[in-house]
Amino acid sequence: MIDEQDKLLPIANVGRIMKHILPRNAKISKEAKETMQECVSEFISFITSEASDKCHKENRKTVNGDDICWALSSLGFDNNSEVMLKYLHKFREYERQKAEQNKASSSEEKDDVTSYRLGLQPDTSTPLEFRVLDKGGSSSANPK
Amino acid sequence: MRQPGAYSRLLAGGISGKTGPHSLPLARIKKIMKNSSDEVKMISGEAPIVFSKACELFIEELTKRAWMMTLQAKRSTLHREDVASAVMNIDIFDFLVNLVSENSGKSEDPQPVTEA
Repeated sequence: MIDEQDKLLPIANVGRIMKHILPRNAKISKEAKETMQECVSEFISFITSEASDKCHKENRKTVNGDDICWALSSLGFDNNSEVMLKYLHKFREYERQKAEQNKASSSEEKDDVTSYRLGLQPDTSTPLEFRVLDKGGSSSANPK
Repeated sequence: MRQPGAYSRLLAGGISGKTGPHSLPLARIKKIMKNSSDEVKMISGEAPIVFSKACELFIEELTKRAWMMTLQAKRSTLHREDVASAVMNIDIFDFLVNLVSENSGKSEDPQPVTEA
């Protein structure tokens, strides 16, 4: 049971994101949330496989953010891909600035670990903020 | 129904605090990434962060599409079948077709999914 849950993102998080995008009166059945959980995991696997494949062909061992963006685009999530690239570049810029600040205060942190750790702490107020899409606003991947 | 403005806001604006900087757990994302294929050896620190956002957008997109199905059926509760219908209707969600078909196959409810 626990193993299974490890392969899914938490239903609370998934449900929250779903709820945010729907009108206030909307309800979501538990099975719908569970289905969405599975879809997201499948999405992650799908994109990662594609990205990993590319790395493998290019004799690289590490899947990075650019690879994910490329895979998103390659698999038809064009809209998302553009957004993600901008997000990624903004994030990297933020990381760079942070690294420079850290240098000034002479603390020792490694790049990747830093970025990973920063990401993991929700209490840390990061200047890198992104607004969740408004309920009224709509965006769509281009349906083929 | 494309609104580039929504995305620009996404980049320029700020989270109101409803969702954290990363609303999905990065460690879990990383785990799922590693599970996806044997070829996946190393994952950069930024990759789960990018995914955190990408997944959010993905959930939003699929949810919106599913909601359209809900509305068509004149309901106000989004059901699994609405998600399945949305998947069937959109090409880029083709990779989910088997998944949602399996789901309807192994439904725990003996009767079709209908909520009172």
